[in-house]
Amino acid sequence: MTHGHLWDRLAEAKSRLDPVQSKYRVVFEDPATPDEAAKVLVPDPNWMACALEGNILPPIDTYQRDRDVPDGQPKEHPYAKPIGAMTEEEAIEYLIMKDICPSVWRDYKGNRTIMKIVPVELVPSDRSFRNAWKIKQEADERIAA
Amino acid sequence: MSTLNVSNITDGTTTVGTSYVVNGSAKAWVNFNGTGTIAARDSLNLSSLGDNGTGQYQVNYTSSFSTVGYSVEGVASAALTDVGGTVSVSATGRRSYNDAGTLTDPTYYYHTVHGDLA
Repeated sequence: MTHGHLWDRLAEAKSRLDPVQSKYRVVFEDPATPDEAAKVLVPDPNWMACALEGNILPPIDTYQRDRDVPDGQPKEHPYAKPIGAMTEEEAIEYLIMKDICPSVWRDYKGNRTIMKIVPVELVPSDRSFRNAWKIKQEADERIAA
Repeated sequence: MSTLNVSNITDGTTTVGTSYVVNGSAKAWVNFNGTGTIAARDSLNLSSLGDNGTGQYQVNYTSSFSTVGYSVEGVASAALTDVGGTVSVSATGRRSYNDAGTLTDPTYYYHTVHGDLA
């Protein structure tokens, strides 16, 4: 049985599934630009519904291989066999590997904590000094490092 | 899910090629709140939004585009918009400014993309 194109599955799922607001956000800093503010990754509610439902999203490794495919060349992820349902925590890990540069979650070897998965209520809703936000470094983490 | 495989669509008087309909459909869109803890109100083909600072966002797509030759439209409430930061087949950076040219967070940010999917 064919599973068609990923976009077709997304469009069909949107007509069928209720959006799911994640209780998590991912806060991260880009080690290549240490003076910039921390960034916040916000999962899309329709995407989260697809992740929790299963049989819609492709394996994460297809996205990773597609990073090396030149623009205009056929990519793997739109036609890959979809994976099963994820938990919300697994979905966040998937999203980190998909939407955050590997230099943040895989390659960074420094002492600072540059990425954290946090409950949404820990992200300040007041955007004062937004361009100066940084991830708080815990004392025990610095000692451990 | 079943598939209707036709070359043209007609109402009996006017006929249009299916390719016009398929190619003319928006392949990704989102309406999001750029203030506070930013959040999408509704969307299609998005995996996540990035909050990169005041008035600076990144839209990440679930199904990537074939090339970066896609077309982006955007409007924000009481703000000017442009494309900035990352522009790739899987993500588009967006910014919004007030009339003075300062980056600002809009209550409503509308982003739509037309183009060929990978």
